[in-house]
Amino acid sequence: MISATLLGQSVLSGFFAGCLYALLGLGLTLTWRYLKVINLAHFAFVLIAAYLTFQLVGKNGLNPLLVAVILIPVFFLAGVAQQALIEHYKVNEFASIILTFGFAMIAEAGLQWIWSADYQKLEAHYMRGSLQVAGLFLPISDIVMSLVAISLCVMVWAAMRYTWLGKALRASLDNPGIAAAFGVPNRKLSYLVAGASGASTAIGGIFVALLSTLAPSQIFSWLGVVFAAALLGGLGSPIGILAAGILLGVSEHVTMAITAPSWAPVVPFTLLMVILLLWPERI
Amino acid sequence: MLKIENLHVGYGDATALSDVSLHLDKGELACMIGPNGAGKTTLVNAIARLLPIRSGSIAIEGRDVSRLTPQELCDYGVAIIPEGRRLFTSMTVEENLEIGCYRPAARGLKQQSLARIYEMFPVLGERRWQLAGTLSGGQQQMVAIGRALMAQPKLLLIDEPSLGLAPVIIKQVFETISAIHASGVSILLIEQNASKALAVAQRAYVLDCGSIIAQGTPQELRQRSEIDAAYFGAGN
Ligand SMILES: Nc1ncnc2c1ncn2[C@@H]1O[C@H](COP(=O)(O)OP(=O)(O)O)[C@@H](O)[C@H]1O
Ligand SMILES: [Mg+2]
Repeated sequence: MISATLLGQSVLSGFFAGCLYALLGLGLTLTWRYLKVINLAHFAFVLIAAYLTFQLVGKNGLNPLLVAVILIPVFFLAGVAQQALIEHYKVNEFASIILTFGFAMIAEAGLQWIWSADYQKLEAHYMRGSLQVAGLFLPISDIVMSLVAISLCVMVWAAMRYTWLGKALRASLDNPGIAAAFGVPNRKLSYLVAGASGASTAIGGIFVALLSTLAPSQIFSWLGVVFAAALLGGLGSPIGILAAGILLGVSEHVTMAITAPSWAPVVPFTLLMVILLLWPERI
Repeated sequence: MLKIENLHVGYGDATALSDVSLHLDKGELACMIGPNGAGKTTLVNAIARLLPIRSGSIAIEGRDVSRLTPQELCDYGVAIIPEGRRLFTSMTVEENLEIGCYRPAARGLKQQSLARIYEMFPVLGERRWQLAGTLSGGQQQMVAIGRALMAQPKLLLIDEPSLGLAPVIIKQVFETISAIHASGVSILLIEQNASKALAVAQRAYVLDCGSIIAQGTPQELRQRSEIDAAYFGAGN
């Protein structure tokens, strides 16, 4: 039997991990549903942003907030550029997997070439330390990341529901022709979604750099669990991916605590398969 | 208001409309009747710029619109009530209506427009938070009409509004169309239900196999027995 403290700590770490899954998956789930693009390059963007943060904060000594101000617009534009390419070549949903997988491979090679394949850790004094509550450790960096992830998910949810842009986006998903006939600018909206998704990779990447050790191969290690969260949460649903991310994170970490770490990756996919079997209309 | 000259539209190699010319005066209600597959929906979609045209011109208030995008056209005050309603089924009734006034010129009037539509169709007011896809056919048609009215249209394109509806609802739909017309909106009404359409129209066109084969006032058309036999036959 494991102690209550260990269990509590596992649930907490799982919660933080889940928030990171949601942060990394928010853009993915939106572009998947609204643009019909299954964007594997999303994780390449995240890692590129993480390495740039590693470089600019760790080596050049810039403040992470300044790095955010630089990277967010750049990655917004990168997202738009990628979407322009996909639209120009009329890439369909399936082909988008292959195209963006190719991009992810190239990015991995590029990152290795510049920063080597070794694990690296950003050494900086930002967001160090932790709070201690009832015997549990809450790292400041995880708290900040989780607050950002939760706020972004809630903001996107509210925007989809209550703003003109959000409603227009949903209308254009339901019926693009008729939406256009009422003045909805389908193409501009798709660029906006692609850009927002790109911007979210910058935010995710900065946190990945601040929270964890970096290796170029992480592009592909994030992929599985974040995909599972996107599917489990219902494609295009910001609250869904947050809930599913947390569910997966907590179940992974609790599994690790009561069995062995090697069992953790099995959890998300078992959960995903069970839920898809019981509830196939989920996707 | 609307002037179409020598319009040709096709799907791939197939021709769907050939040499179609028609006009609609300001404030007029013209109807277009014709059998299934005649090209009526193709004409509506071409006017709404949802389909590319091969040749010919479409002008609204004297300005050529035949090369515009649907979005640009909507700024000319053209709204569509499409065949089969084509609502945003996963959105609520009110959200459907809101998209109707998406164009900036109509957006500012959202509250007045909503109030007007809920007065016109009280059931939509009661069900404003319900998903449009879960409404009955008649209620969906009301949403489609309401959505188009939200756009503050000068020209309304209505494609087979009676399709698949019960007679009592059809009657209500036609009354509504007459009321919209009476409020000053120019209307091009597409219908297979010829007698109903001719009863409200001031001018009528008959489309068959992609060409206009007859036109005139409803009285003139009713007197032409060959058209009568073909289009006003059974059920009307
Ligand atoms: N998307 C399409 N692709 C190919 N042919 C079409 C398409 N839509 C309609 N058609 C053809 O164009 C002709 C006119 O169709 P339509 O405009 O829908 O007629 P109506 O509305 O008068 O019933 C028909 O022969 C139909 O088969
Ligand atoms: Mg039709």
